[in-house]
Amino acid sequence: MKCTECGHQAESGSFRYLYNARIDASVSLRQCPSCQEWLAVDELKSEVRQKVRPGEAPWGKSAGIEGLAEDV
Amino acid sequence: MAEPATLENKVEERIKTHEEKQEWWWIAEKRRSRRLDYLRKAVWKKGALGGNYAPGIKLDLEGPTLFTDMWKRNHTDPIMLRRAKALAHVLDNIPIFITDQAQLVGYMGSLPHTLAWRVDGASIVNEEAYNEPGIHEEPQAESLKTVAELNAYWAGQTAIDKVARILDPEDAVKFLSGAIGWGAPTSAYGYSAKNYEYFMTGERAFEDIIDEIDANIEKAEEKTIGTPGPDILPLYDRIQNWEAMKIVLEAGIRYANRYARLARIVAENFESDPKRKEELLRVAETCERVPAKTPRNLQESLQYDFFVQIIARHEAHEGAWPSRPDYYHGPYYDKDVNIEKNITREEALDLIGEFMIRTYEVGGFGPRWAREGLQGITGTWVWTIGGVKPDGSDACNDMTIALMQAARLVRVANPTLSFRWHPKVSDEVMREIFECNRQGLGYPNLRNDPILVANAMHWHGHPIEEARLWMNQACLSPCPPTKHGQQPMRMASATANCAKIVEYALHNGYDHVVNMQMGPKTGDARKFTDFEQLFEAWVKQMEWIFNTLVRTVNLGRFKDPEFFGRPFLSAISERSVESGLDVVSPVGDRGNSWITAFTFVENIDSLAAVKKLVFDDKKYTMDQLITALEANWEGYEEMRLDFVKGAPKWGNDDDYVDDIMLRCLRECARHSKVIKDPSGNNWPILPENVSGNIHYANIVNALPNGRRLGDALYDGGISPGPGLDKKGPTAVLKSCAKIDHITHGRAFLLNQRLSPTQLAGEKGYQLWKAYVKTWADLGIDHIQFNVVSDETLYAAQRDPEKYSEVIVRVAGYSAHFVDISRKTQDNIIQRTVQGLG
Repeated sequence: MKCTECGHQAESGSFRYLYNARIDASVSLRQCPSCQEWLAVDELKSEVRQKVRPGEAPWGKSAGIEGLAEDV
Repeated sequence: MAEPATLENKVEERIKTHEEKQEWWWIAEKRRSRRLDYLRKAVWKKGALGGNYAPGIKLDLEGPTLFTDMWKRNHTDPIMLRRAKALAHVLDNIPIFITDQAQLVGYMGSLPHTLAWRVDGASIVNEEAYNEPGIHEEPQAESLKTVAELNAYWAGQTAIDKVARILDPEDAVKFLSGAIGWGAPTSAYGYSAKNYEYFMTGERAFEDIIDEIDANIEKAEEKTIGTPGPDILPLYDRIQNWEAMKIVLEAGIRYANRYARLARIVAENFESDPKRKEELLRVAETCERVPAKTPRNLQESLQYDFFVQIIARHEAHEGAWPSRPDYYHGPYYDKDVNIEKNITREEALDLIGEFMIRTYEVGGFGPRWAREGLQGITGTWVWTIGGVKPDGSDACNDMTIALMQAARLVRVANPTLSFRWHPKVSDEVMREIFECNRQGLGYPNLRNDPILVANAMHWHGHPIEEARLWMNQACLSPCPPTKHGQQPMRMASATANCAKIVEYALHNGYDHVVNMQMGPKTGDARKFTDFEQLFEAWVKQMEWIFNTLVRTVNLGRFKDPEFFGRPFLSAISERSVESGLDVVSPVGDRGNSWITAFTFVENIDSLAAVKKLVFDDKKYTMDQLITALEANWEGYEEMRLDFVKGAPKWGNDDDYVDDIMLRCLRECARHSKVIKDPSGNNWPILPENVSGNIHYANIVNALPNGRRLGDALYDGGISPGPGLDKKGPTAVLKSCAKIDHITHGRAFLLNQRLSPTQLAGEKGYQLWKAYVKTWADLGIDHIQFNVVSDETLYAAQRDPEKYSEVIVRVAGYSAHFVDISRKTQDNIIQRTVQGLG
C-alpha cells in the first residue's frame, strides 16, 4: 500500500490501524508510519483513498433518512 | 412606508436566521439575560477534552494540603472523627471567592480554575495527578514538590490501598488489569444518593439535625453510665460517630458564614453599583440563613442544596449528582413567583440558570480512564425532573418548565435533565421537552415512569410510595431518596466491560490484549460443534465477570466505614443520624445496586453472527473464525464484511437475533438474583456506556460482529450498532420492546438520532410526540435523542471554535461536540438518522 502524502510503500498492516467508524463499510483510518498522516484506506483493495482532515467524511453520510434507510 | 429597523427588530431578525440554520447556541446568547451571559462565559470548563484537561485548568493544592495537615494531627482518632476534623479544617480555611454577578456561591477548589483533588482516595490516582502534564500551577517545580510530598504521605494509606491489601490477590490483579471493569471500590469515588426526604423537605436543616444528634448523644451517654450489658457496647463508637457528624454540620454552617462575611465586606466596602451591592447583601443574608436553617425562598433553597453538594464534594469525589430540583425547589419557586410575587419569572430563570452554571463549574481531578470514559464532563450530573408524587399524581410544576427553559438559555453539558414521563404529563411540558431536544441539547432524556416504579419494586422491594420518589443515582439507575431506599454509595467498579464475555467465550477465558488467563477455561472454541456450546461458555464467562466485579465492590462497601468514613453524608441521612452508624454501613440500607453493563450489544450481534454463518449456514468453521479474530481481521476483510452484512443485527425487529438478546438477558437476570449486595439485595444489570465504548476500543479484541481491536464499540445500552439499524425507528422500538423492562434488568439505554429538519415546526412536534407515545406504549424504559445534522457536526470538526457550543448526546450524558475525541465524534456521526412518520 502506498501513502498518498509521502509515497511510503509497505504492507497495509504496517500502517497503524486507528479505527473504522462504520462497521459495515470497508473504509478504515490508518496512520502512515513514515509521515504520520491519517489516511482513509479501502481495506478490500488495500488502497489509500485520501488523507483525512478534520470534517472530512471517509464514510460519507450517516445511514438513515439522510442516507439510506426508510421506515417499513 | 417600511417600519424603521429598531435594535429589537434587528435582534429578532438575526434570531430568525440562526433558527433557520439551527444555530441554537447563538440564539441562547441573544435571549439570555446579561447576567446569565456573563456567568456562562466566565465559567471554567473542567471536563476533559478527549482525555486531557483544557489549558489553564490547574490542580488544587490548598484543599488536599489543609486536609492532610489536620489528618496528620489527629492520628489517634477513629476514622469518622479524624475525617470530620480534617474536613472541618478545609471548610474553615480553604480560600473562597464570589464570581462577579453571581447570586449563588460555593466551590470545591480554592480558585475558579482549579480541580479539586481527592488525595486520600487512591495512590494510583495520586500518581496520575503527579504525572499529568499541564495541570500544575507555576512555579511548577514547587507545585510538583507539594504533590510529591502529599503522595509520599498517602502512599499505602488511601482507601483503595487498604482495599487492595485484603482483596484476593487474583481478583486484585484481574480487576486492576482494566480489562473487565473500571472504577475504584471506595466511596471516595462513589455515587452517593442523598436522603432528600430527610434534609430537603423544608422540615429541617443543619441546626435541626444537630439538635437531633445532641439528643441521641445524650440518650446514649445515659445508657453508657447505666446497667452494663452487650447493648451499650456499640454506643461508644456511635457517640464518636455522632460527634463527627456534628463537627461537619457545624463546619458547614461556618463555611456558609464565611461567604456571608465576604459578600458583606465586598458590598459595604468595595461595590459601587447600588444594584450589585443589594445583591451581595442578599447573598450574605442567604448564607447566614442556609444551611443552618430551613430556606424561605427560591434563592435560599437553591443555595442550601448547592452547599450540601459542595460540602459532600469536599468529603468525597462524588462521581454523580442525584437530584430532583423541580420536586424539592418547586414549592419555593411557586411561593416566590406565583403566590407572593417576590421575584419575576425572569429573575427566577436567572437563579435557575446560574444554579446550572455553578454545577457545570464543579470538577475534580479524575484518572485517565474516567476522563476518556466521560469525555467532556467531570461526572454524570443527571438531574431528574417530572414524574409523580408518592400518591401517584403528576409532580410537574412551574419549576419543571423553568428548568428546561433555563437549560436552553445556558446550554451547559452538565448537568443534564432526565424527565420521568408518565401518562398524565401535560402537553405544555411535553413541548418544553421537545424544544430542548430540537435545539440539540440531547436532553431531557425520557424515562418511562410506570415501568421504572414497577422495576424498583421488582428488583429491590422498594414500597410503591418510595419507588415513586425515585431519582437517577448516576446516569440511569433509579434510587429513592428515602431513609431505607437511599443507597449511600455505589461504586463505578461494578461496571462490566461486557464485550469481554463473548471474547473470553471464544478464547477459552484468555485475554490476548492483556495477555493473561482472565475468565474460566470454558473450552477451545475451535472445537465447538454447535451454538449451545458457545452459549454455555458465554454464560459461564458472564457469571465470572459479574462475580469478580461484585465481590470487589461488596468488599469495598463493607470495609468503607473502616477505610474511608463519611461523616457529612451520614449527617444528612436519617438512618445514620438515628443509629449513629456511618451511612455507608449496609445496616438498614434496603439495597439498590446495579451492574452497569458497558458494551453489551456486541455480545448479541457476535453470537448471532457465529450462529448464522458458522453453525446454521456452515459458511465458515470455528477454526477459520478464531484464526481471523486472532489476526484482528487483518487479511480477512471479505470474511469480516460477511460477518457484518451476512448476519442479522440487533435493532431490526428480527427474531433471529432478538431472541439471542432475550436469552442473554434472561441469564443475566437469573444470575442477578444469585449475587447479592451487602444488604442481601439483588444486582440487576443496566446496559449503558457513557463513552466507555471509546475507552475500551483498544482493550476489546476483534469480535465476530466484524469489529476490530481499535474500533469504537457500539454506543451502548440496547442501542443498535451505528448504521446497522436499517429498518427504521419502529423496528428499533419493536426490538427493544421484546425486552421486559421490569424483570430483565434495572434500565436499558436507547440512543436515537433524529433529523433536525424533520422536527421543524408544529408538524415536527406532532411526529415526535406520536413516536414518544409508541415508545411509552411499548413499555421501553429509556430513550434519548440527538437532533443535530451531519452537516453541523462535520462543520464543527472543521471549525471547532465557531461551533464550540454544539452539544451532542453521548450516552447517559451530553457533551460539547468539540470536547470529545475524533473517534467519539465519528461514532456519533455514524449513528443512523431515523425518519419519523
